[in-house]
Amino acid sequence: MMDAPLLAIENLRTYFYSRVKRAFIRSVDGVSLHVARGETLGIVGESGSGKSVTALSAAGLVTAGPGVIGGRIDLHSNGARRNLLDGLERYVHVTEQDGRVMAVEKDERGWRKHAEKLMAGVRGKEIAMIFQNPRSALNPYSTVGKQLVETIRLHTNLKGENEAKERAIHWLERVRIDSPRLRFDNFPFGMSGGMCQRAMLAMALCAEPSLLIADEPTTGLDATIQSRIVELLAQLKAETSITTLLISHDISVIQRLSDRIAVMYGGTVVETGRAAEVLAEQAQVRHPYTAALLASIPSAETIRRKSYLQAIEGEVLDTIDVPRGCRFYGRCNRVTEAIRDRCAGLEPPLAEVAPGHKLRCWLHPAAPSPSRTNAAPETPA
Amino acid sequence: MSGTLLEVTDLRKHYSQRRGLVSVLTGQGRVIPAVDGVSFYLRENETVGLVGESGCGKTTIGRTVLRLTDPSSGRVVFDGRDITSLSRAELRPLRREMQMVFQDLDAGLNPKMRVREILREALTVYERPSDAEIASRIRELLEQVNLKDSKLANFPSELSGGEKRRVGIARVLAVRPRLIVADEPTSALDVSIQAQVVNLLRNLQKHLGLAYLFISHDLPVVELVSQKVAVMYLGRIVEMGLAENIAHQPRHPYTRILWSSLADKQSTEVSLYARASATVERERRTWGVFDFEQPASGCRFAPRCPLYQDKGRPAVCTDPASEPQLRNVGHGHVVACHFA
Repeated sequence: MMDAPLLAIENLRTYFYSRVKRAFIRSVDGVSLHVARGETLGIVGESGSGKSVTALSAAGLVTAGPGVIGGRIDLHSNGARRNLLDGLERYVHVTEQDGRVMAVEKDERGWRKHAEKLMAGVRGKEIAMIFQNPRSALNPYSTVGKQLVETIRLHTNLKGENEAKERAIHWLERVRIDSPRLRFDNFPFGMSGGMCQRAMLAMALCAEPSLLIADEPTTGLDATIQSRIVELLAQLKAETSITTLLISHDISVIQRLSDRIAVMYGGTVVETGRAAEVLAEQAQVRHPYTAALLASIPSAETIRRKSYLQAIEGEVLDTIDVPRGCRFYGRCNRVTEAIRDRCAGLEPPLAEVAPGHKLRCWLHPAAPSPSRTNAAPETPA
Repeated sequence: MSGTLLEVTDLRKHYSQRRGLVSVLTGQGRVIPAVDGVSFYLRENETVGLVGESGCGKTTIGRTVLRLTDPSSGRVVFDGRDITSLSRAELRPLRREMQMVFQDLDAGLNPKMRVREILREALTVYERPSDAEIASRIRELLEQVNLKDSKLANFPSELSGGEKRRVGIARVLAVRPRLIVADEPTSALDVSIQAQVVNLLRNLQKHLGLAYLFISHDLPVVELVSQKVAVMYLGRIVEMGLAENIAHQPRHPYTRILWSSLADKQSTEVSLYARASATVERERRTWGVFDFEQPASGCRFAPRCPLYQDKGRPAVCTDPASEPQLRNVGHGHVVACHFA
């Protein structure tokens, strides 16, 4: 029996308006992905690839305008299935010309009112989130313990002060904070960055959410602390088997924690598949961007021979003027004469090259029918 | 010929921390030894990597070496001249020979100036070249940092991260320095752009004979670009030696912990944080709090040290009279540990 994925995002689009550039940025431009129950999906990509915005959109936390434009975000939890963007499309109208978004008309009030209704009881309860900068996500005027107790009493059926406190201490212990009873009364400023991230994680998990979104949870921490937070996440994953959407630009973090991976570039998913398959050292079939990303990290071999790194030439695509062809075309070093016209002129579909392994590249069009894509959020196989 | 360009001897920088009205009025506060007796040297055309956790004093060393902050004591000799006692005026001609690349991409890029003006300003700080000379030098700089000349008319806000970094480097190169202190030059950049900048820095060294003090927490990058690596812990160098020795035959337990997070990736092409072994599990449990405010007596790493636990907490490690000094273990490899 197939279990429906806990989270299925389909053709999500989130745009922003940049005053400096006087243009719309297509941060997330047709992203489809799913996270199965109990699995960790790692989204990896460079800044501007849209990975964080995808996560923020899923949690309904996009505040800048115009924000989420359309798509589906299906959440299956507690036996219910709901589309967090259900019926919102009627509040938006997008005008597009030659790959450039000219205007977005959005009824902000209508959208927000409707969206908040859909999000009620979801954010914080069903979907919890931890961020890159834990200190800014904690309330500086309140002790860590108080904030935990508040969350527990709001989101679980432990309503009593004392039992909530016991549960809070239990969670501080679970995230390996030393002497949790003492730390309970600490303010965030009295704690180190690594400790704040642990507290943040306790706060996210204490509501017993169905989905944890971890947005760059190790970025900005020290190398030694980073590896310890990664280790903690791995342990918690083994203990609670919580479904996680993990976002990081650090491939090593993604590799350590993810079951499946989605590689994003220029607002789209360019490759997705099982982590072991996508990052396998000798992978035969690989998106040129994934290959280049892996090659630009100093390998043991590069260091030993003191050779130069294989950099990806050019700059990360800004998604204002989206090219007609492949978004990576301008930086790609694998373009052959045979496919150059297609690369430059037509965006490749996300095609399945092996069971569960999809690529968006003309070098590897799927064997049976390359024209049908994004048809189903879940491949029934 | 590679002569010694920079020699740092017993450098100390102590910041005093004053909290509250009483300590301000009485002038008494706690002293934070950000850099506490550091010695090393740097030759021409050589890169020394400086690694350690944040707060260990890496950046303070970089700034003190350039006299951007004054040291509390110790000597910094640049090209045979002791710069610690020079006045600002005496220092000025030397400034052009030692430059810094900051972590912040926007540092040094005036947001109201176009790239052309930023470079022109840098070129005219020490010299009065003619307009033709400026134009040719700007062209040369753009070529050196691999930047399109169409960017000259842009403001910094219109540049991408990688381009800002290139302009920052071009601006530094404009005064023809011999020493560059690069403080986390790649940490604000994306992976694909990081590789471009690392390649660029190495290329410039090859062609211009620059010396780098390369401060970073990215261990593989440090190992790649540096000939020598110094590992810092709480204001002191605990181990220093050739890059490959530090990475592959580390002696000090702290260095081992730093590199252990990367050790398992040697066989694969991607770095792993896999730290599965039992010893690592023990390291994790003994990993206490990193704190200037409660300095350990004796070896400052002892409270977190797995070796200290293994040896059954020997008294020599916490004896205030015997803080471990750097001792030579061969091939210019020095380590400050009683047992390593």
